[in-house]
Amino acid sequence: MTAIQAERRAAASNHDAWLSRRRWARAGWLYVFMLVMSFFFLGPFLMGLLSSMKDNPNEYPPKVIIPQLTAQYVSRAYNLGVQGGNSGWNGGLTPGREVTFDVSVRSPADAPKDAPVVSLFPYQPVSLVAIAKQAQAKDYAKLSTVQVSQSGETKVYRTTVSYPSLTAQTGEVIRAKLVTPDSDVKAQLPGGEIVKVTLDTPAAQAKQYELSETQRVELVKAGGNYYLRGPLFERTPMQVDVQRGQSIVNSTLPPSDKQNFDRSFAFRNVTPGILGYTFNNYRRAFNETMDPKSGRSLFFSWVLNSFLYAFLRVAAAVVFCSLAGYALARFDFPGKNLIFLGAVLFVQMVPSQVNLVSNYVLLKDLHLLNIWGLWLNGFVAAGGVFLMKQFFEGMPKELEESASIDGAGPFTTFWKVMLPQAGPALIALAITQFQGAWNDFFWPLVLLRQNTDFTLTVGLSSFSQLYGGQGDYGLILAGAILSAIPVIIVFIIFQRYFVDTGSDSAVKG
Amino acid sequence: MTITNPTAKRPKAARSKQSQTTTTALLFLAPFLITTLIFFFYAFARAIYYSFTDFNLFNTPKLIGIKPYMDVLADPSFRRALANSLIFAIVTTTLQTVFSLLMAVALNNKIRGMAFFRSAWYMPSITSSVVITLIFLWLFQRRGIANYLITQWQAYQPLILTFLGVLIVVQIAQVLWERSRKLPAGWIDPALAAVSALIALVVVFILNSTGIIGLREVAPYDYQYFADKWISIGNVRVLSIPLLVIIIQNTFTTVPTLMLFFLAGLQSIPGSLYEAADIDGATPYQKLMNVTVPMLRPVTFYVVTVGLIGTMQMFDQVAVIGSAAPQDTLITLAFYVYTNTFKNGAAPVNMASAAAIVLALIILSMVFVQRKFFVAPEAN
Repeated sequence: MTAIQAERRAAASNHDAWLSRRRWARAGWLYVFMLVMSFFFLGPFLMGLLSSMKDNPNEYPPKVIIPQLTAQYVSRAYNLGVQGGNSGWNGGLTPGREVTFDVSVRSPADAPKDAPVVSLFPYQPVSLVAIAKQAQAKDYAKLSTVQVSQSGETKVYRTTVSYPSLTAQTGEVIRAKLVTPDSDVKAQLPGGEIVKVTLDTPAAQAKQYELSETQRVELVKAGGNYYLRGPLFERTPMQVDVQRGQSIVNSTLPPSDKQNFDRSFAFRNVTPGILGYTFNNYRRAFNETMDPKSGRSLFFSWVLNSFLYAFLRVAAAVVFCSLAGYALARFDFPGKNLIFLGAVLFVQMVPSQVNLVSNYVLLKDLHLLNIWGLWLNGFVAAGGVFLMKQFFEGMPKELEESASIDGAGPFTTFWKVMLPQAGPALIALAITQFQGAWNDFFWPLVLLRQNTDFTLTVGLSSFSQLYGGQGDYGLILAGAILSAIPVIIVFIIFQRYFVDTGSDSAVKG
Repeated sequence: MTITNPTAKRPKAARSKQSQTTTTALLFLAPFLITTLIFFFYAFARAIYYSFTDFNLFNTPKLIGIKPYMDVLADPSFRRALANSLIFAIVTTTLQTVFSLLMAVALNNKIRGMAFFRSAWYMPSITSSVVITLIFLWLFQRRGIANYLITQWQAYQPLILTFLGVLIVVQIAQVLWERSRKLPAGWIDPALAAVSALIALVVVFILNSTGIIGLREVAPYDYQYFADKWISIGNVRVLSIPLLVIIIQNTFTTVPTLMLFFLAGLQSIPGSLYEAADIDGATPYQKLMNVTVPMLRPVTFYVVTVGLIGTMQMFDQVAVIGSAAPQDTLITLAFYVYTNTFKNGAAPVNMASAAAIVLALIILSMVFVQRKFFVAPEAN
């Protein structure tokens, strides 16, 4: 009898252990599934982010470990930036400085033993704005290559890029921008003052007609005169070629590009600094869209326009959507249902393409084909009115009743009593409007006709028309990532409200 | 106000209070109503008017009857746009609804770290369609990440298939063994599956290191997605490959949002229903089909409506991809309206307007049909 009971008890506890084992295993599988899905949903963004830092985002097979994010190479890029431009962050090559760069070449027994051929090459960006021809490091810097060590078949060569100053004068060094020359070369100082530039050496005079306006230069102030030290270079592109049979096995920075059966290495910039190395494409997005005359970057204008548009939309929505939502929720008046059905629900179902022609023609006649016209076009969002109506309907009526007993008019009641209570709904409204405006594409594309007026979405698509054709995805990806950042920040801060707005409208709708 | 208004019979004070309320309400609504009137109703009326005229942005419109509609219907690129839009809307809405429901069911578990996963999965929904389209254009290049992953899948195929085969065999053996011990093990028992996966992993590792199976040598998979390629039924071009990529992209971006709607719906289903189903011995699949899906009907209705309205208007992706793909493969009604409005020279704006009206009618009738026939009576 007892034996049977003990057996049953043992079986029962076995069964419990069996069940709990299943629960644990189930949770384990669930986590595996969720991790896989996270990779799926975040993967494209993370891969885009990673590749936006590569020299060549189209490299195949795509690598996940890249030198741009490797401590060793980033610190070398920093050092090269310090050597060339006295700035580990910005890099660049400035007059009077020297940069050393090592390349290891392996020459097997039967191969030529020549030293590698090192040269600088020009870089002229493709851009959405007209950029005057800029001075190139190759016309100003000198190279010398010496062998520094040897181990077995591999020899290490050290190339020194030196950029001598064009003047022997010493004194205060000033950075300036060249302006339209007359009989003399003229430059604009940081303070805005325009001065004559003295070219006091034959080397400097030889370059007089090669320097175009808007070129950034370094001057030295001595005895009331400004002497030209030389132009400033953001990049120092260098190329290393070896003979057939030889191979390049190592270099201070990995090459940006290999050609000619790995016998020709191109380094896009041997004086990068961290910005020029890891964030090169991000810097290009701003710098290569810079209008040299105004010094204003197109990309930067797009960012500002997007923020302005999003801010205007949010401001209008917070005031007018809540007013309208409140009226629809609380006041009883003839035609209320008609307004709700027609102006709130129906409006959301009709595609915006229907209004395209009329609104375009109307805003064009009003000379409002700009951000303000765009704002007016979607002034009070029907979706926002719907959201606020739902919210105010859910609020207790006692608040207003006590306010009206105190003799407050409807507007005071709304402004002083109801709106302060609407915090969460207003945040949700602001978020949806911000996101909507920031990501809006159709209306900005239709209404904004000048590339300085573009918002980021339209600007990015014009980026892709220009650079996508030539496969320059670095710039496109960098722009895409930059434009996603503000929304991601807003999302991280206000996560709770994102989730709330979605679910509320679904359950109620 | 005075025609059949019941307030007319009430005392004067009440009537003036009512008219005062009306005035206040209209004042509150004024900014909304005025802009909606100008930028929506006036615009809508003008679009209807233009669609019966010979307007081309530069001339004075003159009524010419239904000729623009006939022109539009006779235009092959309009027919392509119509077909593309309908196929895109139906396929995408179906896919995103099914996937978001399944994901919501998976996420509707109370486990640690759920908040993190929910946020992470939401990422595609918050960024703009332009950004995601650009990233997808890059992913789906000829030598892009998508093709790279396919190449990898082909190369690892022997290992993966061996793994799956061993997993299934071991799982069946284990389940039969447990059942012979009178334990109620299901075919996909999670604990046994974990053991099976481990065994399969070890077997694959041993076979691989002894050289019995190994990676396959495959050439890089070189498929050009944004080209004039079609999935056809008979002689009819149904779905183009570029459009298929956009369907994937759109599903990818909308699933997280829609999933949240389903999640909220799931959490409002009373737990007692599942308990009752458990007592009746329902399997997880039966619970999903007989409890979850019917209880989610109102949310499903909302998700499908929003999905159809959104996908029928698809424009951003086509405009961003632009000339990177042949126009016929991607053109949608919205894009057709846009290109015809901004064509160089005398643009056929009347045709654009007619196409826009057709688009609006399609969307409205979709919503109407859905409202009429697919909403459960208890949802109203």
